[in-house]
Amino acid sequence: MRNGKPPLIDSIYWRGAIAIVVFLLLWEMGSLSKVWIKWESFEWLRNTLTAMGFKPAYLPWVGAIPAPTEVLHAWQGVIRDPGYWQSWYMSLFRVMAGFIAAMLIGIPFGLLLAVSRTAHGVGFPVFEVLRPIPPLAWVPASIIFWPTQEMSIAFVTFLGAFYTIVINVVGGARAIDLRYFQAARSMGSSQRDIFWRIILPGTLPSIMVGSAVGMGITWEVVVAAEMISGGGSQIGGTSGGGLGFFIWNSYVGGSYEQIVVGMISIGIAGFLSSELLRWLGHRVTPWLRLR
Amino acid sequence: MTQQDLEAGVPHADVLEIYRRTVPFQAVPEILLGKIAHLGNSAFYAAGEIIYKTGDDANDICIIVSGRVEHELEPQAQARRPLKVLEAGDVFGWAALLSKYPRRLAKAICTEQAEVIRINGEKLLRVLETDPAAGDHVMSQFATMIARDYTVPGLGAMLRKIHRRIHAGDVQGMNLTLYRYQQWLKSPRPYLMVVGFTLFVGFWYLAVEVWKLPRFRDMPGITAVVKEWLNPDPAYGLSIYTPEYYKHIGVSIWRVTQAFFLATVLGVSVGLMLGWSKKFKEYVFPVFETLRPIPILAWVPLAIVMFVATESAVIYLTFLASFFATALNTMLGVESIDESYVRAACCLGAKRAQVFRHVIVPGALPFIFTGLQISVGVSWFSLVAAEMVSGQYGLGYVINTSYTMVRYPTIVIGMITLGFVGYITSAMVRAMGDHLMKWRTRELALGAQ
Amino acid sequence: MAAAMQPEAAVSTTTRGAISIQDVVKIYDPHGAAVMAVDHCSLEISAGEICMVVGPSGCGKTTLLNAIAGFHEITSGRILLDGEVLCSTEKPKAEPGSDRIVVFQSGALFPWKTNLENVAFGPLVQGTLSRAEATEKALDVMADAGLSGVEHNFPGEISSGMRRRVEIVRALMNNPKVLLLDEPYRALDSLTKSVMHEALLEIYYKNKVTIFFITHDLEEAIFLGHKVAIMTTRPCRPKKILTVDIPHPRDYSVLTSRRFRELMEETNEAVHEEAIKAFAAGEKEG
Repeated sequence: MRNGKPPLIDSIYWRGAIAIVVFLLLWEMGSLSKVWIKWESFEWLRNTLTAMGFKPAYLPWVGAIPAPTEVLHAWQGVIRDPGYWQSWYMSLFRVMAGFIAAMLIGIPFGLLLAVSRTAHGVGFPVFEVLRPIPPLAWVPASIIFWPTQEMSIAFVTFLGAFYTIVINVVGGARAIDLRYFQAARSMGSSQRDIFWRIILPGTLPSIMVGSAVGMGITWEVVVAAEMISGGGSQIGGTSGGGLGFFIWNSYVGGSYEQIVVGMISIGIAGFLSSELLRWLGHRVTPWLRLR
Repeated sequence: MTQQDLEAGVPHADVLEIYRRTVPFQAVPEILLGKIAHLGNSAFYAAGEIIYKTGDDANDICIIVSGRVEHELEPQAQARRPLKVLEAGDVFGWAALLSKYPRRLAKAICTEQAEVIRINGEKLLRVLETDPAAGDHVMSQFATMIARDYTVPGLGAMLRKIHRRIHAGDVQGMNLTLYRYQQWLKSPRPYLMVVGFTLFVGFWYLAVEVWKLPRFRDMPGITAVVKEWLNPDPAYGLSIYTPEYYKHIGVSIWRVTQAFFLATVLGVSVGLMLGWSKKFKEYVFPVFETLRPIPILAWVPLAIVMFVATESAVIYLTFLASFFATALNTMLGVESIDESYVRAACCLGAKRAQVFRHVIVPGALPFIFTGLQISVGVSWFSLVAAEMVSGQYGLGYVINTSYTMVRYPTIVIGMITLGFVGYITSAMVRAMGDHLMKWRTRELALGAQ
Repeated sequence: MAAAMQPEAAVSTTTRGAISIQDVVKIYDPHGAAVMAVDHCSLEISAGEICMVVGPSGCGKTTLLNAIAGFHEITSGRILLDGEVLCSTEKPKAEPGSDRIVVFQSGALFPWKTNLENVAFGPLVQGTLSRAEATEKALDVMADAGLSGVEHNFPGEISSGMRRRVEIVRALMNNPKVLLLDEPYRALDSLTKSVMHEALLEIYYKNKVTIFFITHDLEEAIFLGHKVAIMTTRPCRPKKILTVDIPHPRDYSVLTSRRFRELMEETNEAVHEEAIKAFAAGEKEG
């Protein structure tokens, strides 16, 4: 944009690749520093770090993280464990359950708030008062309320996506150009037509935006809920509590490499679900593709 | 004003045409022109009759509909050509609009029979104030006319200013708030809101404490919560009278403040760099995007391992969430800036650093503040998670321990407090943004009228 | 109407700002498929002249303006300003500078600065005036252009016609040699446009600058210009150069004069032909 000359497409790729490789190298070196560096020869540095409140055994922060090679090694071990895949399945299942519930309830609720002034007046202030309460603060209340832990996790997950979806639906429906309604009326549309042919498609782009954001929050909430509730249901046995529980369990068990394996797994899962959603959004809003 | 509003039908099209033909009223919106036309009174003068002479009180401005008027400015006006013959469509008597000269500066005599529309200057200003943008335009047209047609230099600057009646931003901001508040009270919304809250609270009360519905009866009831909250001697140890309560709030706020501050400083600078330098983005963004999909909460155990002190681990987690939101939005903000602003600044001689300071930073500000709004939200979100998993003190900790210690009403107290504090902090960020972006709030306020 | 009544405020003369466009070629090559935007275009603009460049939207005239301003490279040829090379085959991109100021199609007043700050921006960043001096000069210049009363408003609060005037005043604050206007009145309604034309001429009579004005409105071109260059559509090159022999200072009565109508008739055909070509080629607006 800034330059008249079109950038070489490959330069973006190799620069990105270099950066990631450098990042991994730094990580590797940082975490292996405790092996490589003879700390005895750096007494002064060690004293300073200790005085600053860090552990004297290794470099601060990065020294405590397991190295990428170790992580890769641990992953190879875990990949054959069905419990690991069970965790994937459990987390994905919870995310989808909460997310779909949020869509099914959030979209009609949002449209209702957008279409009816009375519903907006009655419902929106209560909604706005509840919204600032972070979803995770609902965890204990949810556990008390719902009969099974599985349901309470689903409820908190649902809450996470619900707020963003509703906000986006209301905003999107209200932002529809008034002229579309006037045009439709002048061509003799009924209220029903206006709803199905203008309000719904007009809101679709913001529904998709809200869903994408909601999906991110859903993953956050699922992971946290799994950690807090200590694995949730008993369906999958001890290792079937989802990826969040997988991480927490690895922490408790002291296998730090597995923590990172779990984190990357969740990253991949979250990325895949957002991509799926983006692809879906692309499909349902073909008129935006030309932009 | 209101009386004229009531009467303001559409004046005759021919009359409007006369106004539109004059210099000051060209390009005035139809509605405003109608209001102005309503102020005018026709007057007829015979040949040789004096319309006004130098030193008279100046109340009206005049538009010539037909006939000729000779207009002679007094020497003090320092006109380059004091004498001017005016014809149909010309405007004179503009002294009525000057702030320092409430008296005539010229002598106006009819040279042939003339029809003149007279408009009271004071009333004209009031009408123009109803549409300040168009009003400014009219006044600047008058300034141009005085300088150009009447060859009087400098008097244009003495034209009265159009006052904006409702104006966001300045001292009048208070009036605006008050005005909106009054409008709000007149609408059905407050009553609907009361209905909404009554339904919500009523259901909570009835379901838990009166009907004792299954599942609901285990929940803390509203009366129990309120009683506990306002109790000087709370059963479970936490109410507005106990210093512990404020300590928890204080600790949470202090953690969020540190994390938010750090995330803002780092996030805004990284975001600006990402948007401003293509090379930097090509190197850094892939790493950024690789780390971003990992949910912040998945970092919890690793953060505990990485940081010796739990306090730093909690702050780190809170920071991480805010950082990504702020950096990403700042980058988008820089990229959204219209190329022509950058080019205009270059044209006007700005160096690269000046472009950055005068164009990139202010131009990205709206997006930055959107990012900060999100950032405050997610920082509370991850703070609660971090406090629930690890850490002592803080509202997340209150909620979690109250659960394990079976102090159910305290859970709700913690939740409501969290919601309240979270709302206040994001309102503060919004107010800060409005303050820094006056240009934007004013634009929006005008658009809303 | 007024300009004609003041012969003593006659056109001042200047020797600055002669532009010479010599054999300029611009080829865009974004995805391997070369598109020729400007094809061996030559145009001489003498100092203090208003040169109107007329052509259908997207014909490549903005490319020419961008080359003079220094936003884009040229492929070959050269452009001179007062005999000095701005850009050439060897040095394809000119340095943007305050001697050639652009007034943009969509307007580029900084919305986050007040009108006064916008006008004072140039001398301030160049370091030629102190803040107080720049502010004082800006106030003077604005009052002179009939813009008193809106100094402390933000551009978003005033009408679009006023914004254009503020933008032109902002440019003139820097005492430029050339003013490059890229369809500045495109978005304005015809009433405002007529006011703006007279205002522009008035500013021009006071500050003698060379004006390079891009438009697709032939009437506007003949009314304002000393010289009207009608461009072919992609690739862009002068098809016909018309010298408007209606004497300056002009006012709106020119529009109904016989000579004006003759000139319109003479050129209308050429412009229309290019418009049809551009339409058939399916060029997007812009």
